[in-house]
Amino acid sequence: MFTNTDDMAHNLLITKPGAREAVVQAALQLAEKGPAQNYIPNTANVLWSIPVIGPDEKATLSFTAPAKKGVYPYVCTFPGHGFVMYGAMYVTDKQELPDIGNDLNIPESRRKENGAAGKTTGHGAHTAKPAHPYVLKPPYLYRVFIEGAGPAAIAVRLPHQLSYCWDAGSCRLRFAWTGDFVDNSALWAGHKDATAAILGEVFYRDKTAYPLRIKDPGVIPATAFKGYRLVDRYPEFHYTIDGTSVYELIKPEADGSGLVRTFRIPGAAYPVWFVFTPGDGIKYTSSAGSWEGNKLVLSAEEAGSFVITMTRDK
Amino acid sequence: MGRHANVMTMKWSFNIFVLALMVLAACADPGKPELPAESYKIDTVPTPDGLTAEVGGLDFLSDGRLIACFIRGEVMIYDPKTRQWTLFAEGLQEPLGILRVTDSEFLVMQRPELTRIKDTDGDGQADEYENATDDFGISGNYHEFNYGPVADKEGNLFIGLNTASHGGGILPELRGAFNKDGRDGDNGRKQMYSVVPYRGWIMKLTPSGKLEPYCSGFRSPNGLGFDLEGNLFVTDNQGDWVGTSPLFHAEQGKFYGHPASLVWEEGWTKGNPFELPPAELDRMRSKAAVLFPHGIMANSPSEPRCDITGGKFGPFAGQLFVGEMNQGRIVRVMLEQVGGEWQGACVPFADNIGLRKGNNRLVFAPDGSLWVGQAEHGWLGDAGIQRISFTGRTPTDVLQMHITGKGFDLEFTQALDSSGANPANYQVRRYRYEYHKKYGSDQIDVQDISVNGAALSGGGKKVSLSLGELSPGYVYEFKLGDIKGRDGTPLANKTICYTVNRLREGGAQ
Repeated sequence: MFTNTDDMAHNLLITKPGAREAVVQAALQLAEKGPAQNYIPNTANVLWSIPVIGPDEKATLSFTAPAKKGVYPYVCTFPGHGFVMYGAMYVTDKQELPDIGNDLNIPESRRKENGAAGKTTGHGAHTAKPAHPYVLKPPYLYRVFIEGAGPAAIAVRLPHQLSYCWDAGSCRLRFAWTGDFVDNSALWAGHKDATAAILGEVFYRDKTAYPLRIKDPGVIPATAFKGYRLVDRYPEFHYTIDGTSVYELIKPEADGSGLVRTFRIPGAAYPVWFVFTPGDGIKYTSSAGSWEGNKLVLSAEEAGSFVITMTRDK
Repeated sequence: MGRHANVMTMKWSFNIFVLALMVLAACADPGKPELPAESYKIDTVPTPDGLTAEVGGLDFLSDGRLIACFIRGEVMIYDPKTRQWTLFAEGLQEPLGILRVTDSEFLVMQRPELTRIKDTDGDGQADEYENATDDFGISGNYHEFNYGPVADKEGNLFIGLNTASHGGGILPELRGAFNKDGRDGDNGRKQMYSVVPYRGWIMKLTPSGKLEPYCSGFRSPNGLGFDLEGNLFVTDNQGDWVGTSPLFHAEQGKFYGHPASLVWEEGWTKGNPFELPPAELDRMRSKAAVLFPHGIMANSPSEPRCDITGGKFGPFAGQLFVGEMNQGRIVRVMLEQVGGEWQGACVPFADNIGLRKGNNRLVFAPDGSLWVGQAEHGWLGDAGIQRISFTGRTPTDVLQMHITGKGFDLEFTQALDSSGANPANYQVRRYRYEYHKKYGSDQIDVQDISVNGAALSGGGKKVSLSLGELSPGYVYEFKLGDIKGRDGTPLANKTICYTVNRLREGGAQ
């Protein structure tokens, strides 16, 4: 049973051993006659086939497996697909099949994806092949899709095995973690429903409606992302809250025990509040302003530049 | 029998070889170096170790250095003189386009936004990443690629927003408003969809920074480009509602056929556009200027680039070159306006000269060579950068094609011998493609067309063909036979496909 769960049309051919490439070429030679023949060439090299089926269609092929031992390729010969979309059926009396990572009968991309030898994680000790033509030294960042944030997320690697996710959609720090950084291999391969995998333990998530308020502590401000600049390679985010520019730079604490967030709101014309959710696993201290429970209130002048240190609870 | 045929072929090749030597000997001018045999040659540009060189965008700096962005988020600069690469920026998400603003400021189209990247301290690396616009939706669907930007003469920028694929889902958090009418059926698993704003649109970013919807109906518009006169052309990819891959002349307010994007049209009141009768959608849509017949010309066209080299790249100045992902080919497009509407022909270019697959991005270098960036991205293709340069030997190829009252005029790059006047050397058929939600379309209404005459004029450079039949709404496909230039060189390409939207008024010219 062949169910096409993809968004393109596909067929399925099983060929004689070693005949896959010849069949793919023969299918391409059909040129404009291809559609009428379902891109299935008239050749004895094709043992069995399922014609082209569209997205979400199903087709069934019944056949008796060949008695003769061998590696029988299966392949989609829809134009362009045959070079990357294939696999192998083994007729064998052995109990075990070859390791996928080293099996030359399947496409390179699949070998890399599934094979133990070809596991491609993001960085460091996990990396089989370098991810980039340069060595990454924290701080650095990736814009990614990542679980727990909106689709315009920024994952930032800091020294001390610390990382955080800043959301450029909602203009806020979303969460932070310790351990390794992220594995982007599924994202980089263009896989469907891919996200960057977090390779560590999340120790903080912002559960407030929004952490900053201006003029009125009861009103969630409207935000807009303006970008970031790199300061000694650390990103300083620039965004607006109700039209007032905010600059936010996040660094690790010197001993790696938490995050140091430096805010600048140079044009603040009103008081500013910083809000957290009690019991979120973080101890908050500030360089300016005064705390009222879970709210820090800063005068417009104090909001010009202030630091909030977020230390992990022991 | 097989062996016999081989011997015959060898003999024949040998005779041609001897003949070619004689011709060369006769033409040889001892004072001048001889031109190479090929008109175009390929060089492969070295890329750094550790770089997954899937190219999302290419442009040139004023000093002749190349800037390139790659799928894993790097922006790098290549100096052709030293053959050295340097890193300019990193960390971007799937950048698929780059445009030089100044030699230290570039616009890069990435997943979340169009980003203005600047080196403000002159150290050769970007330190500012400004949001030029993020005023469009993201559902998190893997297929919501973003393309562009290209700039018009007034400083407006144009970007293209891919629809989402029913092959994948969306993230729990979206950016932008959600509209379920942008997809077909409740679970959206049937056709490409647009559930967040302006998916399937070409957008215009004004110099004041406002992003405006420009035109709709795109499925997968992986390529925007202007011609010399400032007309915007956009390619799309075969699939649902796209019978075969097209090139559109993109104009404000028009709809180009894929229904999903219509939900974001201002004042749209017709509900789910997938539920409209196909005939109504067909009436609403503007048709392609040029169709690329699937399996013949291109299966996955990418960026259209206008030849701005003024002849440095050969005889095709002003024409569009379009990348093709599925094979080692660039497609060349010859356009004309008939009755106010764009139409024209496409012809293979750079076949069989060593070009890889995955030809995603094209840019002309200051020296007139065409640089081609390749990508695969989980699909058929390749990775790396190749450079196509003109050797100075003019190919024997069709230069222009015009519809006439009774057929077509083909202008060639050089004079043809008498083979050009033989109607038997022009095999013509015509067909069209259906407009429907099914993935792609077969060629339908296929008909062989008789060639009643082939008249040479213009010193042997022009062939006027009279056809037995000429109707709008069809692709006319020409297979050229054993036609040679007067210097004995065979045709560089033998397949031409002309898309007839309109007939020329007033009969024969």
